[in-house]
Amino acid sequence: MVCVAHYGVFVSVEELTLAQAHELRRGTVVLACLALLREPSYGYALLETLNGAGVSVDGNTLYPLLRRLEKQGLLTSEWNTDESRPRKFYRVSPDGSLVLAGLVREWQDLSATIARLTKENG
Amino acid sequence: MSTSSLTERYVDEVVRRLPAAQRDDIGEELRTTIADTVEAREAADPQSAEREVLTEMGDPVRYAARYTGRPLALIGPDLYPAYIRLLVLLLSSVLPVITTVSVLVELADSGDVGAAVGEGVTTVLTLGAQMIAVLTVVFALVDRLRSRDGAPARSAAWTLADLPEPRKKDKVGIMDALGAAWYALLISLTVWQHVAKPYGADGHGGGKAVEVLDPALWSGWIWPVLLGLAAMLALSAARITVRGWTVRLAVLNAVAQAVFALPFAWILQHRMLFNPEFLKTAGTDALTQEVYSGLAVIVLVLGASAVVTGFRSARR
Repeated sequence: MVCVAHYGVFVSVEELTLAQAHELRRGTVVLACLALLREPSYGYALLETLNGAGVSVDGNTLYPLLRRLEKQGLLTSEWNTDESRPRKFYRVSPDGSLVLAGLVREWQDLSATIARLTKENG
Repeated sequence: MSTSSLTERYVDEVVRRLPAAQRDDIGEELRTTIADTVEAREAADPQSAEREVLTEMGDPVRYAARYTGRPLALIGPDLYPAYIRLLVLLLSSVLPVITTVSVLVELADSGDVGAAVGEGVTTVLTLGAQMIAVLTVVFALVDRLRSRDGAPARSAAWTLADLPEPRKKDKVGIMDALGAAWYALLISLTVWQHVAKPYGADGHGGGKAVEVLDPALWSGWIWPVLLGLAAMLALSAARITVRGWTVRLAVLNAVAQAVFALPFAWILQHRMLFNPEFLKTAGTDALTQEVYSGLAVIVLVLGASAVVTGFRSARR
């Protein structure tokens, strides 16, 4: 195992990669949420879908995030009392759709930039 | 304990930290989410599954803070640099100035050295504590008021003028030379007053000569103190030759500081420092137990800060 000295503590390259990858993915949760919520969904189901799709996120992070996006006007919500438990369903607002489109563009730009950078230095 | 009460207690713990208008809504959603998560585990024992889920959600205080965006630090990263700068400024310039003035005033007032020392110690301890406490409370309040508004205002903007002058390499050598001279002086004074018995006990010079420090110390506590001083003297000399700190020197410094400061603070706290005969004739009654305890605390704080400084310098 390759180890790197990091403030005197030895951390494996695998662990460092994992930590950095986590940082990278963190910013993508909002994008993934907005994309998924074009169809209305509720907290736990959304968490499952996200994790199933490989966007790993904690409930601790996701549920407050949904509230924040709602407060910013990017999501709208509605209580659904038809089922056994009352559930709060979220979906993107018109503003949210615009932000989503902007983020998708940003994502594609970034992806192209990184592809170019890694090619030149590869 | 029933199953539902655990979730209820958790939800209550979270929502009571939220704005009243959001409590019911977030509480209801949280209850459903916990129930959904527990159900999805398909555990044979739903009670232990509930415990698991709640444990994974973690401290309710932390969880509620994610909803409110309330800071979980007394003084957040925005204000921290300004806080530290102001604290250092107050403690390193304002406090010494006021202390010096109050010592001089007391000296001019009563002409009693003991009383003046007592005044100085009291000032350092009470005023220093007040400065730290007031500054911390004010910054913590400002941090909270600001974060309620949402938009983090810039604290006093940093400019190039705030850059400190480059530290001179030679400064280390000069400080260590001064330190070495100081330790040598302390050792010599201690030994000299023991051998020469410089103080005339009747105050007229012709009477019985006594020591300033308690002679009883020489059959015990003075030895670790002198040993510690000698070790610090040697370490100062060593730092001058190697031009700076190493981790080994920092460790040795910590040992030397402990060997000196712990017994010395003990001597002060138990009022064993001065010769009772000397105190009787010197006529200082200002050295109360509070002053001795204060001096002991200062000795310990200075020792601890010297240890920390050593390690931080060695790391650089």
